[in-house]
Amino acid sequence: MRATTFAARTVLLAAILLGLCVPAAAAGAPSATLSAAFKPERLGRRTTLSFGFQVRGAAGLLPPALTAVSLSYPNNLGIALSGLGLSTCTAAKLEASGLPGCQADSIMGFGDATAEISIGSDVVGEPVPITILRAPDEAGHISLLFNAVGTSPLNTSAVFPGALLPAPAPFGGSVNIDVPLIPSLPGAPDVAIVRLQATLGPSGVTYYEQVEGRTLAYQPPGILLPDSCPRGGFPFAAQFSFLGGGHASAGTAVPCPRRR
Amino acid sequence: MDHVMNLIRAALLALAIPAAHAARALKATDTAKLRYVSASGSLLLEEGKATGTLPGKMRASVNVGATISGSFTIDTKGGTIKGHGEATPHGAGVYESFAGSITVTGGSGRYAHARGHTGLYGTFDRNTYALTIQTTGTFSY
Repeated sequence: MRATTFAARTVLLAAILLGLCVPAAAAGAPSATLSAAFKPERLGRRTTLSFGFQVRGAAGLLPPALTAVSLSYPNNLGIALSGLGLSTCTAAKLEASGLPGCQADSIMGFGDATAEISIGSDVVGEPVPITILRAPDEAGHISLLFNAVGTSPLNTSAVFPGALLPAPAPFGGSVNIDVPLIPSLPGAPDVAIVRLQATLGPSGVTYYEQVEGRTLAYQPPGILLPDSCPRGGFPFAAQFSFLGGGHASAGTAVPCPRRR
Repeated sequence: MDHVMNLIRAALLALAIPAAHAARALKATDTAKLRYVSASGSLLLEEGKATGTLPGKMRASVNVGATISGSFTIDTKGGTIKGHGEATPHGAGVYESFAGSITVTGGSGRYAHARGHTGLYGTFDRNTYALTIQTTGTFSY
């Protein structure tokens, strides 16, 4: 009897959840998930921020091309005190000379994205390495560049501009990224970016400085975590805009570290 | 009896007059060189010396994020001046410049009634976290 009641409740719950989900799916709205982590996560210490997202089209279909992402990060995160992005690079330099055209001190992080391309009835995934660089400020905002270079099956590169903007509490700011449309094959939809995993921080980053006529390599200090963790963890949120006007949002929180 | 009460009221009013505040305006230009004391996340505690029209010891709590904002206290000979400010960063590199405004909200001693809104300019050393702040404008006290 208990099992029957439990089963009935489960079916009812599933029906309610399905009922809640159906309008969004029926409307063809894409969905998204967001992840974030600090490595290492020690309060009051330096860290590298790792973040990622994944977008899905309705009913398992390829989502429309992504046109913008706004990633909000927690209040009191010392990104500007990270020692990252001491130099800047421009989209023009990247387009002309690629990454070697930029100073190492402009690199702020790395990542990789997955782009999906419709070829006939097939969907082909393409891994795309990403480099995040500091760009000259624009309109009073700290600016970033996301340099993406794909090689196969499409040999194409793209530079996405991003800006660090103020954001309402509990966030300290947001990184607003404009994603350009990347044409695929003639007659086929634009390339759809379906996944990104990236780091912002000193992990894998080497800078150079001149000391008494010698060039010394060093690792920038990294993002400074606050001395205390907000209740519920460090919150992150993202809004995604797609070609055709679709939107999706996602949120997550990095749990507070265990007390030692 | 009414006559006595009127005399008392007049005496109290006379006593009150000297305490009434007469606002003065001061055109001030000051430069403060602040050094890093401590940091937590994006929040910096800084202190240093202010020179110019109102010399003294300055302490500031500064949030360096998408914008630069914070509160400050200057201990001068005549009293303390308190306020807050916000600025927008410009450019990049080791030395990042910023520009914005400061609002003087009060203080103590001679500056207990300080009020005003002045310009704020400065540079931030991203290696040492040292701040150089310049303010210029008129405030009343």
